[in-house]
Amino acid sequence: MVPFKYNLRSLRARKVGSLMTIFGVGMVVWASIFAFGLSAGLDKTLEIAAGPLDVIVMRKGSTSEAVSAVSDEVARDIIALPGIATNRDGRPLAATELVIFGYLPRRGQTQKVNVAVRGVLPVSRELRDGMQIVEGRDFRPGVREAIVSRAMSERFQGLGLGEEFEVRGGMFRVVGLFEAGGGAVESEIWTDQSVLAQLTNRTGAMSCVQFRAASKTDQERLINRIKADEQIDLNAMTEEQYYAEQAQQSMLIKIVGGMVAFFLTIGAMFAVANTMYGAIASRAREIGTLRALGFGRFSILLAFLLESLILCTLGAVLGCLGALALGDIRTGTMNAGTFTEVVFAFNFGPSVLLSGALLAVAMGLIGGLMPAIRAVRMRVVNALREV
Amino acid sequence: MMKYLPLILHNISRNKIRSLLTSLSIAMSLFLVVTLSSLLSSQDEITERTKVHNRVAVLHEAGLAGRLPIAYVDRIRKIPGVACASPMSWFGGNYREEKTQFPQFGADARTIFDVYEEYQIPAEQLADWQRDKTGCVVGSLIARNKGWKIGDKIPLKGNIYPVDLELTVRGIYDGDSTVDKEWLLFHFEYMDEALKEHYERIAGNAGIIMLRVESQQKVPTVMQTIESAFASSDAPVKPMTEKQFAQSFTEMMGNVRGFIRYTSIAVVVALLCVAANTMAMSLRERTREIALLKAIGFSQSSVLGMFLSESVLIGLLGGVVGALGGKLLFAAVDLSKILPGLGMFYIPWTTALYGLALAAGIGLFSGLAPAWRAANLSVLEGLRKVV
Amino acid sequence: MSDHADAVVALLNVSKEFMRDKIHIPVLSNTTLHIPRGDFVAVMGPSGSGKSTLLNLCAGLDRPTTGNVIVNGQDLGELSEAGLSRWRSENLGFIFQSYNLMPVLTAQENVELPLLLTPLRRAERRKHAGAALAIVGLEDRADHYPRQLSGGQEQRVAIARALANDPVLLLADEPTGNLDATSAHEVLDLLVQLNDQYGTTIIMVTHDPKAARRAKRLLHLEKGAFVQADIDALEAVR
Repeated sequence: MVPFKYNLRSLRARKVGSLMTIFGVGMVVWASIFAFGLSAGLDKTLEIAAGPLDVIVMRKGSTSEAVSAVSDEVARDIIALPGIATNRDGRPLAATELVIFGYLPRRGQTQKVNVAVRGVLPVSRELRDGMQIVEGRDFRPGVREAIVSRAMSERFQGLGLGEEFEVRGGMFRVVGLFEAGGGAVESEIWTDQSVLAQLTNRTGAMSCVQFRAASKTDQERLINRIKADEQIDLNAMTEEQYYAEQAQQSMLIKIVGGMVAFFLTIGAMFAVANTMYGAIASRAREIGTLRALGFGRFSILLAFLLESLILCTLGAVLGCLGALALGDIRTGTMNAGTFTEVVFAFNFGPSVLLSGALLAVAMGLIGGLMPAIRAVRMRVVNALREV
Repeated sequence: MMKYLPLILHNISRNKIRSLLTSLSIAMSLFLVVTLSSLLSSQDEITERTKVHNRVAVLHEAGLAGRLPIAYVDRIRKIPGVACASPMSWFGGNYREEKTQFPQFGADARTIFDVYEEYQIPAEQLADWQRDKTGCVVGSLIARNKGWKIGDKIPLKGNIYPVDLELTVRGIYDGDSTVDKEWLLFHFEYMDEALKEHYERIAGNAGIIMLRVESQQKVPTVMQTIESAFASSDAPVKPMTEKQFAQSFTEMMGNVRGFIRYTSIAVVVALLCVAANTMAMSLRERTREIALLKAIGFSQSSVLGMFLSESVLIGLLGGVVGALGGKLLFAAVDLSKILPGLGMFYIPWTTALYGLALAAGIGLFSGLAPAWRAANLSVLEGLRKVV
Repeated sequence: MSDHADAVVALLNVSKEFMRDKIHIPVLSNTTLHIPRGDFVAVMGPSGSGKSTLLNLCAGLDRPTTGNVIVNGQDLGELSEAGLSRWRSENLGFIFQSYNLMPVLTAQENVELPLLLTPLRRAERRKHAGAALAIVGLEDRADHYPRQLSGGQEQRVAIARALANDPVLLLADEPTGNLDATSAHEVLDLLVQLNDQYGTTIIMVTHDPKAARRAKRLLHLEKGAFVQADIDALEAVR
């Protein structure tokens, strides 16, 4: 085999050209990771949100809680069903929840956007693992107080600790900030259910029922049971399904991200091919010599593929570092499934970085292949004479 | 410079693979930049062009989630300066088993095509629709994609509104590129009567009210009159011009617009590196020829000009393929088949031309450093140099 | 044909034609040649007489139009492209007019290059390469890159590289063509020494009568055929 250091040092010898190519590949990897990170972040937020045993019950045909309604009597029946997990006090882990749209401006903007306001019962908190108040205190029942996620409080006017905001004509005071490991609940404002119901004249029906099944088999049984009941006309699904469907609504972001990665990768392939063609043309004599010394065609092919791979791998490293350097970017967009703002962090996790790096490998292999084949097909006798 | 053109063209075609690869990588990236910025600018351009129709959207002060009494429509019609008005109630139902929704509005069949005066529908089809209370009209694009013909039945399962509709296609509208041809319009009364039967509480909700003002000059006055007319009522309203209304949707996308910009910048920077590298490679190989040109009396500036024209030409070639090719591609391919809602997407001429200019700019800047070096090459050194 | 078995190189009725613009250009015509083990042959002749083609045929870099090339008992025509590569790495040493060292590798690494194709371990490779560099008197330049060496030194490194795998046959294509008189002299001394001390068979193509004079035997190529050039003629030049 042609020694590795031969390729490495050849790249170093063409310093400017190699750096330019590495930088170009790096930018492409960076942009792709950025795009992947956006959609992966959104997906992850919705994925974290789902508890494996949790079930959400809504009106048939509803795709989001805010447009659903479940009457109180039916909700009571559901909560009393056997097979629902219980908490330490022996009470079922099940709650009706009321979700309405708030309409608030982001910080630094005047245009308002929809945000989800959730009216909850005390047990609702136990249905969200990892949710805890990190600053301030919990809201008191019966008064217009609210807790919001730290991410929301940074993003929206009036949601800072101690500030006030308006929902449907009522002023609420933010008394606490919570965190929930980046899940969808971090895009919500929480307040007392009865206060919110009174304000919005919702009587006799809340938006949905959420509960945690005691086991997987219970979960399946309960879902089938609720679905089968013609009279209540409700649909039950696991939270996993519910959020997976919402994630599907964000197809546009995914398609745009995929398009960015696809076209950039092809463009970069051409660029890598160009660099390698140049490298091979200027090293024709070296290639001829290697052949004369007895290196076989395959060694030469491998050597130049390797060289293009080194270029692209370095570019990938640069791109990944560039993405990591961005750190923890929080952002928000409209959840096309619920029409409310969803706040999430870019996900530059290992799988996202890896897919960026794989693009670079593809660039190196495919972009380097044609030039490497040319190197192999070079006639030794002519190559040796090349100046 | 024109007399050098044959020489420049000869230089471009001497290493065909390299010129082609460079142009193609520029083309790929430009296609992307142009497409991405069109995602932003085509919306703007469409709303900009609809300004001539003087439409105003009236929303509940609490945004899309608020409820506007249907009686407001008649009150608005009586306001001086208002030519016509119609409710537009977003139904958001599911068609058969499809998960993704397309726009469905409950509207006033007598006025909606006056409000949207540029939407074309044959008079007898419009009359048919107005006569049939369960009838609907659909856009030409969605009709084609779903294979709907006049007389077809369209069942819609309610999602926001808990009623199901059984509609019959009575007409198909069409129009120029600013017309959204993916709508389904049905009688507002049909939905409302169904609601009254079971859900009295949520009946009578107009959603938003769309109106057309008689002339551009009267728009601000009309908006003001409407705002103050309902200010002290149960449901205060917020009038927006059609453009503001459209912008409020793009606003909901949040920072995604900014991210698209960052990505585009990254793409352009990556390109500059890559293209500059290629130009440098191709000039380095010609060091001796350049020295020769100078030896026989070509001035510094003509050498500079010649090589810059070469790189600009290569850039332009990529621009023509990428930007103009992209424009043609999206004109020929119907995206709404792949992703509903993108039926309106196209690349505006301004964006395509801006892409072309960008390509030329990339060519120019990438050639700058190498051409400068070529122009300042010492003749003696260059002639001696064995590359 | 008693010397056939003893010959390191045997060309049997070899012809070579090139095609250029549909015109046949004969380079070698029906040539037969035996070069015995331990010989040092200088090949001279005007440009286009077929000198380089002769070398390329002996190296298996080119194949004859007709006839057989047998080197060290191996008929090169029987070997595949991959087989030829391996065969070259085991049997041949190559010296070029323009040295053809890898500019990015040090002298030591350049010499080690052909050894990578052998099963030798890293330490053994180092030892072999060091020994080869010692033979050409450049052990103190082992870590220098080609651009840090003079032309003569570069060519000596190239000779060390050619020696490293202990070849049966050393092919030299104008080894002194790019060198000044002193360096050329050193390089030729080295070739003669190799031939004397180690019995390496050498075929050297050259334009330079002074270089040719150092060989044991002179072959003169003219229009693709060997012209009578015995040792007496060589003596006469000397």
